[in-house]
Amino acid sequence: MTPSSPTPAATPPAAAVDLSIDLAGLKLANPMMTASGTCGYGYEYADFTDLSRLGAFVTKSITAEARKGNEAYRIVETRGGMLNAIGLANVGLDAFLADKLPQLRKLRATGPRVIVNVAGHSTDDYVKTCARVAAEPDVDAIELNVSCPNVKDGLTFGTDPRLLRELCREVRTAMAKNVRLIVKLSPNVGDIVLTARAAVEGGADVLSMINTYTAMTIDIHKRRPRLANGTGGLSGPAIRPLAVYLLHRVYRHVAREAKVPIIGMGGIQYWQDAAEFLLAGASGLAVGTALFVDPATPVKITEGLAAYLQKQGCKSLREIVGTLALHGEPPVTPYP
Amino acid sequence: MPADQTFFDPAHPRRGRFDARVVFNRMLCREHFLLRLVIDDTGPSFPQTSPGQFIQLGCRTPDGAADIDALLGAEIEWPPGNPGGQAALRQPELCQRLALLRRPFSLAGRGEDDDGVWIEVVHRVVGAGTDWLSRLKPGEAVDLIGPLGNAFTLPEDKHVALLVGGGVGLPPMFYLAEELWRQGWTAVAFVGAMTRDLLAVDLNENVEPDVTGLPKLSARQFARFMFPSVVTTDDGSAGLKGRITAGLEGVLENLPGASAAQAVIFTCGPEPMMHAVAKLAAHHGIDCQVCLEQAMACGMGTCQSCIVKIDPKMFHPERNEPAQGADAVGRPWRFKLACTDGPVFDSKMVVW
Ligand SMILES: Cc1cc2nc3c(=O)[nH]c(=O)nc-3n(C[C@H](O)[C@H](O)[C@H](O)COP(=O)(O)OP(=O)(O)OC[C@H]3O[C@@H](n4cnc5c(N)ncnc54)[C@H](O)[C@@H]3O)c2cc1C
Ligand SMILES: Cc1cc2nc3c(=O)[nH]c(=O)nc-3n(C[C@H](O)[C@H](O)[C@H](O)COP(=O)(O)O)c2cc1C
Ligand code: FES
Repeated sequence: MTPSSPTPAATPPAAAVDLSIDLAGLKLANPMMTASGTCGYGYEYADFTDLSRLGAFVTKSITAEARKGNEAYRIVETRGGMLNAIGLANVGLDAFLADKLPQLRKLRATGPRVIVNVAGHSTDDYVKTCARVAAEPDVDAIELNVSCPNVKDGLTFGTDPRLLRELCREVRTAMAKNVRLIVKLSPNVGDIVLTARAAVEGGADVLSMINTYTAMTIDIHKRRPRLANGTGGLSGPAIRPLAVYLLHRVYRHVAREAKVPIIGMGGIQYWQDAAEFLLAGASGLAVGTALFVDPATPVKITEGLAAYLQKQGCKSLREIVGTLALHGEPPVTPYP
Repeated sequence: MPADQTFFDPAHPRRGRFDARVVFNRMLCREHFLLRLVIDDTGPSFPQTSPGQFIQLGCRTPDGAADIDALLGAEIEWPPGNPGGQAALRQPELCQRLALLRRPFSLAGRGEDDDGVWIEVVHRVVGAGTDWLSRLKPGEAVDLIGPLGNAFTLPEDKHVALLVGGGVGLPPMFYLAEELWRQGWTAVAFVGAMTRDLLAVDLNENVEPDVTGLPKLSARQFARFMFPSVVTTDDGSAGLKGRITAGLEGVLENLPGASAAQAVIFTCGPEPMMHAVAKLAAHHGIDCQVCLEQAMACGMGTCQSCIVKIDPKMFHPERNEPAQGADAVGRPWRFKLACTDGPVFDSKMVVW
């Protein structure tokens, strides 16, 4: 028996359901994206999957200057997940624009939209980098990484609502109007509603969530952290229920009313996982850690979702977004 | 990056994800297993491979082989009509330590027979993933990604190989030995382990490893190509007592100058061992290629986890890449990726 994607029996023709989504005016053929930092700059996975079938491609975080990142060990697996402390190792803005973006342009010509993830350490730094990236043709959106737990000042903007609002405002003003601003939220906060609201007030067109959870594992024999950085960010199936919950909260308390679409991520590996995020309120979906297991994961999920949506009696994916009914609420799904 | 890396060509994969089946999973020695997999021949053909390359092996039942829908459904199913009976677990993965990420393993061999292309790896049980592998039975399904990484290079002007494999560094040497034999090289293998029952080779009957450290046709994986082996164990329970480098040093000291000029050392094993081998190679002025290991998530250059420190002036000098740091004696280094820039590097480039 040949292992195949875990799609429901009798996969319907993909065209039967409209899978396209709209991220604040940016049209994607389907909701599936790569999560920043888990897919390099695009071409690395070209041998393993048909990248043209992605809705959008999201790059590794780019910073103004190249960064070498942390010492080894940079990753360690935990039960159902992994910790990483890469330390934003990236080629830097100049090399990205010169060497990597041209490759992404070729990819974009085949269908997927291009989203560039940007990180920085001061408002000025973010503003300059975003303005330059947004001025490039073929960049559809910028995802602001204000939530990297693995660099010294990485989390400040992501946890302080006032700072975040100001940052978003300045970045939005500096960026070309036609480029969407996506703000990636950190789960490492007391109340994510506050940072989500701040981002929206600051001018975020789209929210994406979540980045990794700050976490630690210890080598009990050496009595040392397993990662050279001490702490790392937890990702993978282990965080999925946490991510679904936070997304549900942000959708209900901020995004639904403000009409700001959300890109959901955190532990998505199968179409069933993806469906949970859609119901909780996500429009877009990103796959990170599961890409390491199988680079074709997003494509397999697209197929599974198409079949699921048809079974649920939906004509389009947009119909099902946020249609979770809590116990006590009237059902909102047209259950067959 | 060559242009041909940009787009997917399903007809001619250079690498990919492949379904495979277990042919055998034979215990080589304590904790070590030789696993042969036959690649599913209904898909695209398995690409060319070379010694030094590795695969990312899934260490759990592949998707689709188990009923994932059931796994993701209810947790426990009581047998119908027998509510008090033995519960059948529908989500066994919630009760087990299962490896999420794939695990990297060096190719230990490759061939083709009536059933198609087969590959071999040797795995040592050290954790959840390799424990799962050790339970695999003939006919069971696994899936893998590969082939990954660069390979050992066989310089045209050399033809004497010294293969130095410690512990789980031995498997790539098995595959390399075959390639060397095919290309008409002569070789001596150095096989080291802590103790006799951890020697991950088949010892030829009636050919005891030499306690003086003289090469003998004792390890079958090398003897089949008429390459002799020098066996060392830390406790002297087989062959020469001491470190693998003791055996290597003995041979290097007595190597005639003409042979030394044509020799290359190929090594894989624990880092301190490879470092010691690299030093010996430098001392004797012999070229040395090391196969480095680092914890990996993706195995294909996307996650940036598998960094090794390499002298940028020697690694693609034409690229003029700046250093990112320097070691205690001021040697400049730059992070390179073991999975795509390596795992094989010229030992002179490595900043240990
Ligand atoms: C390029 C490459 C080739 C390899 N070839 C072989 C091979 O031919 N045969 C073989 O038995 N092993 C090989 N390894 C090592 C092998 O990948 C690890 O032993 C394996 O990942 C352990 O998985 P586990 O789930 O059993 O253990 P885990 O539970 O993940 O870990 C158990 C222990 O192994 C260590 N470990 C985990 N991953 C690695 C790693 N990638 N490298 C070194 N130590 C690690 C951990 O620190 C831990 O102490 C290779 C590694 C690399 C990078
Ligand atoms: C190895 C690794 C590197 C990552 N690097 C980045 C990064 O550079 N920028 C960023 O915004 N998020 C980064 N992330 C976070 C992911 O984009 C994603 O938010 C998180 O992993 C949760 O999704 P997942 O469970 O599907 O992996 C990284 C995650 C991993 C595992
Ligand atoms: S293992 Fe991911 S970059 Fe090498």
